[in-house]
Amino acid sequence: MGNRFGNAYGLTVLIPIKHGTEDNRSYDKIIRDKLQQWPLDEQSPLSKVPNTYLSRVFLLNDVFYEGAPAIEEHLKNKYLVFSSNFFGELDDYLTGMWNTIGDLLKEFLQHCVVFDKVNSSADFVRYIKRCQIKTSLFFNGSTDKPLDEQLKALYVKQAFIHFAYLSDHFRYEGERGAIKLQDAFKRFVNLIDIKNFNVPSWPVATQSIPADIELSVKAIINNVKEADK
Amino acid sequence: MSNIAGKSYAMNVITPITGWPYYLNRFIFSLLQFSISKQLGNAGFLGKIVPTALTDYVFGKLNGLLTLSLIHYARWAIIKEFPHLDSSQPKENLKYNYMLFFSNFNGSWTQYVDSFHMSIPEGLDRFWFKNIKYPGSVPLQPFHDYITYNQIWTNHYYNAYPVAASNDIKGAQELSDALTRFIAAGAEQESAEDFQTRYENLLLDQQRNLGLMEPTPIVSLSAEAVLRRESEDG
Amino acid sequence: MNITLDLHDIQGNIVFGYGRWGYPLSRYLLFKFNDGVKARDFISALVPLVTSSAPLDKQNGGTPPPATTNIAFTYAGLTSLGLPDASMRSFPDDFRMGMKARKDILGDDGPSRPEKWDPVWKAHRSVHMLLTINGQSQEELDGRYQEIVGMLENTDGDVELLSGHRGVKGVNNLPYQSGNAIVLNGKPTANEHFHYTDGISDPVFKGQGRSANETIGAGKPTREPADTKAGWDALETGEFLLGHRDETCEYPIAPEPRLLSYNGSFMVYRKLHQNVGKFTDYIQKASANYGRPDDSPEVKQETIKAKFAGRWSNGAPLATYPDYASAMKFGQEWDNAAATLFYQTDVSAEQKSAARAKLEELKIKRRAFDYDGDIKGAKCPLGAHTRRTNPRGSLEFDVTGAFNTPGALVDRRRILRRGLPYGESSDRNDNDGEHGIIFMAINSSIQRQFEFVQQQWVNYGNDFKLANEKDALLGNHATDDQGNPIGRTVINANETLEQPTYMCSGMPRFVETRGGDYFFIPSMTALRMIGEGIIDPT
Repeated sequence: MGNRFGNAYGLTVLIPIKHGTEDNRSYDKIIRDKLQQWPLDEQSPLSKVPNTYLSRVFLLNDVFYEGAPAIEEHLKNKYLVFSSNFFGELDDYLTGMWNTIGDLLKEFLQHCVVFDKVNSSADFVRYIKRCQIKTSLFFNGSTDKPLDEQLKALYVKQAFIHFAYLSDHFRYEGERGAIKLQDAFKRFVNLIDIKNFNVPSWPVATQSIPADIELSVKAIINNVKEADK
Repeated sequence: MSNIAGKSYAMNVITPITGWPYYLNRFIFSLLQFSISKQLGNAGFLGKIVPTALTDYVFGKLNGLLTLSLIHYARWAIIKEFPHLDSSQPKENLKYNYMLFFSNFNGSWTQYVDSFHMSIPEGLDRFWFKNIKYPGSVPLQPFHDYITYNQIWTNHYYNAYPVAASNDIKGAQELSDALTRFIAAGAEQESAEDFQTRYENLLLDQQRNLGLMEPTPIVSLSAEAVLRRESEDG
Repeated sequence: MNITLDLHDIQGNIVFGYGRWGYPLSRYLLFKFNDGVKARDFISALVPLVTSSAPLDKQNGGTPPPATTNIAFTYAGLTSLGLPDASMRSFPDDFRMGMKARKDILGDDGPSRPEKWDPVWKAHRSVHMLLTINGQSQEELDGRYQEIVGMLENTDGDVELLSGHRGVKGVNNLPYQSGNAIVLNGKPTANEHFHYTDGISDPVFKGQGRSANETIGAGKPTREPADTKAGWDALETGEFLLGHRDETCEYPIAPEPRLLSYNGSFMVYRKLHQNVGKFTDYIQKASANYGRPDDSPEVKQETIKAKFAGRWSNGAPLATYPDYASAMKFGQEWDNAAATLFYQTDVSAEQKSAARAKLEELKIKRRAFDYDGDIKGAKCPLGAHTRRTNPRGSLEFDVTGAFNTPGALVDRRRILRRGLPYGESSDRNDNDGEHGIIFMAINSSIQRQFEFVQQQWVNYGNDFKLANEKDALLGNHATDDQGNPIGRTVINANETLEQPTYMCSGMPRFVETRGGDYFFIPSMTALRMIGEGIIDPT
């Protein structure tokens, strides 16, 4: 129950790393180095995993000593921590993960305890579940829609705001203006195809604003103005 | 390594907790989680017998966090047993349990710790109740130091929409839904005048959601410097 | 907790602004130190001239001094004065880096970027000390100035007065920056160059000795109604003075040793040029379709102006006076009372007394409001300037009681404003003339207070759920590839007043940064010790 908030799932996974070294570096350092080389944003391996909202990976080296009178203790193993917020069911998510970046995972996680026995999506799902820490409290401050719906909504909002600004003067041009406004909106509806969550939409994990959103709306308004002449 | 992906900041904190506070914390979290489920209508059988007054009251405790509106998703997970997969793996033998906290919020921790701790100090105290050497959420500096002391930096942070704050996601959903209804409500032979009246109402209804997204502001100068270096090297 | 401050130890213009004592003229001098010893001697020689926060008629043997003088230092300045490394390392990052290096946080890009600043600010790290003179008249201002310049001769060039301030008619090597209250119809006003009344709702903090009435609308909001004394509490002193308890129940982070920082503060100085012509032009064009079609252009323009700022030109807040007529009535009452009190000659004592009381009442009305009854921004738009820079309790949105206190997100983001306008702007179509505001903000943490407001609330809108929309007046509006301005703001509808949702676009940048830096204002004690070179944090 703690793992969900509506249709959003919060996954916490601690994967133990084998003891041992390769080329004079311990496995956990190798894993962290590889991890920090992962490309970012739309190039990130996680961008390929369907329905991932926000996700992170880090190495848990040890627990922290809080200082007296706390007890000092240490972890016997290092863990790769994977935390992900996504839409849908856990099994589907993990299966999707294996199907899209399974090869990368096989290579990346090769030094994790008994990961060499993972050879199929079913194996992977079982493995991850064994590494899962149950969430005590999952707070969703956002929505729990499928990712493509969230992205579509971002696109629609940005496009509509451009429409509202660019068509604004039609509101004050009496009857002629009302006709142009209605015409422009009809074209806008065709442009955004609001029920189609695939395209057009907001590009996943982009750090920049797609310029064509404003341009395509501008084109509509220009066409309406041309038609009116 | 970066805790930042566009407008979102990844916070990872691990703190020890033990004894009766551990059980109390588990209970508090369960109660909160249960109240959330009841609000969302999927609390199952138990949801029918636990009084709504109680769950409403408990859910109300999250009002502050919800109103802050800075968070995408946040999670608390208490580790009693670290995963042990095989006899080849040494078994952990720890006196403390450990609470993991993950959050994705908008702005940097330095900037927004003030906002969190002034607005929901009791809430924060509830979440970290009796964690070992937790100093309390007020005053600021010990609390800030405690969290950063126990913070683990993210090695890879992925955000499906770095340019969108949590408010942008929510606002976009509201606007999209309103627009869908608006489009559906348009009669085939609607006059231009009627259309404009409806459109004016749409603008009025959604005027809160008419802010465009842009990539700014930068969350921190160091992160910005790293980005610049990377784009120069790459 | 009643706080008593040692006003003689705190530099002037912090606990109260000089404006209220009638010092409408100012001069800002920037200095560079080339040698530690002679520079410290110079500081010590200046100390007797430095004005404290004690009431001005108590400092100068019974009468307010003809001119006030105050001093503040940059990080580079304190280093040059020989402060020990351990002290320098204890200063916060924002102060250490200085304003220029933090331009990306502040949004000082495009026309506001440092390359465009007055020459005096451009040499890296050479501004060491700011000396501010406030005067009641030009003669007195100049008298103090000449006195100080005279003292420079004793330093044999080891202390330099920096030139490079821009002045009128293309001059760009002046030895100081001037400031002056704007005079209209022969009377000094509290206006700035866009002709808004400025400086209302300065924060009230403990130890200032302000009355409960003065705290209304100026302190931090409580859960009581905003038009009552119970609705407001004075803020904690530590939000504005180092070494005192702040709103989070501790002493604010401060440099060491304690004697260096106690009773001191940090100050942000920014020369902000105002594009008066662009503003006049935009208000005219943008208001054309606003509100009811039969409203006169005057009403439309004044209303749009008010919607941008959150207050009418005369200072009446939209939250209380949402329409033109009631705002004009407010203005009329104010002008009448002020005329009776200050300018009319054949007026009885009773009439003056009544006028004084009326003015007090109106002053309270100007500040005594919140946004609880205006969640949708119908009266005061959600993105209006004063709503952004001081949201009062409105960040709880419609969830009253969500936070510990209504001002929980705001109380730690307040700043004291102590600047003055500069230049004149009788030509309302002029953009290039030398006119604007010398913005001076005083706070105990630059990054937590000023920078936060600038970055998160002025140039961004997420906390107000306005995505990336900026403050119409102050925001660093961008241009597109062709150089066309693309600033935007939504003015929320007011159905009662027949004002539909109004979209303003193509807004140019109205305010541009022309220089500035971050300064540390030491207490009188610290100032003496800096002059004597005895600061030691060991």
